Amino acid sequence: MEWNTTQHVWLILGCFCVAFAPRLIPLMFFRTRKIPDWFNEWMRYVPISLFTALVVKDIFISPEYTVTIVNRAPEMIAAVIVIGIAYWTRSMAISVVLGLVAVFLLAMVV
Amino acid sequence: MEKAIAKSREKLPYWRKILDASLPVDLSYIPIGLACGILLNASGFNVWTTLMVSIMVFSGGAQFLIASLLATNAPMLSVILMMFFLELRYALLGSSLSKYLHGESLGFTALFAASMNDENYALNYLKFSTDKKFTPREALHVEHMTLVFWTISNIIGSLIGSAINIDLTIVHFALTALFLYMIVVQLKNGLIIVICILSGFLAAFFMVLTKSTLGLVLSTLAASFIGFLVEATIRKYKPKSGWLRPMKNPAGSPEDAEEDADD
Repeated sequence: MEWNTTQHVWLILGCFCVAFAPRLIPLMFFRTRKIPDWFNEWMRYVPISLFTALVVKDIFISPEYTVTIVNRAPEMIAAVIVIGIAYWTRSMAISVVLGLVAVFLLAMVV
Repeated sequence: MEKAIAKSREKLPYWRKILDASLPVDLSYIPIGLACGILLNASGFNVWTTLMVSIMVFSGGAQFLIASLLATNAPMLSVILMMFFLELRYALLGSSLSKYLHGESLGFTALFAASMNDENYALNYLKFSTDKKFTPREALHVEHMTLVFWTISNIIGSLIGSAINIDLTIVHFALTALFLYMIVVQLKNGLIIVICILSGFLAAFFMVLTKSTLGLVLSTLAASFIGFLVEATIRKYKPKSGWLRPMKNPAGSPEDAEEDADD
């Protein structure tokens, strides 16, 4: 079944609602209230945990949600290279561009 | 030399300051946005729906997911449900930024929430935690600057459409590299590294268990809470522990030095 444009628009509106609500509600809730210290200390660990989870998903999790390392060698090696570049240069743009170059070259070789 | 640069920075117009602050993400959005536009075009989106989705959803991961689910003819309800689980993590991001938006109006908060995503969140979080003069209004404009780059790249990608043929699995690595960079700049002591590794294993475990991106939410909640508990325990019983000692930054940027002084 091919979707038509009206269905695409409904889909986007639906996605907007489920994307907007989780972004807005916590910001709104804590906007006027005093945020407890323990909550702030907990939240400090959120970004690092989330980004690690996303990287693990991108590199080690297959579309069927099983752990896989088959054909993931280019991404795994490129990930190590990106970590090194990010550590030494602290530059987001250089890390991303060289990471793309690395995975492109590795995909041809491996 | 450095002083001269700092001085010339002060004279820059406001929009240039915002552009400078958001440039790393802006630049990375060009290849990712082009790829996303091409993918959306392949799954049946036209230029207008691409424009709409890039402004209203504004999330690389989510738009890649929409494109891949539409390609497999998933029903609308299941696409929206998947989207909900994927976007649930923004609740955590919003909570961790909320202390910097204390006392802002409802309209501002809504506008800020609408265009917050992983990448500009990371930029703003770093800015807020390292630069005391950084205002919520500047943070909002950083979001909008990244939104402009993202939307234009999406549109161009959609227009190019099937005209060029690139390996999209490789282009997808741009997002992974971005996340890796964000992890590396946050590794400030031994405990954070341990939590980072733990989070990786928990993520794999929960995603295999739930067979969905809900696993991302569960592992993030679990790993961050464990990190918080362990840190609180160490601070209570062994405050001088080496696990919490800040590590040296090889690039030695002045921003980091400033932040270390605060701790």
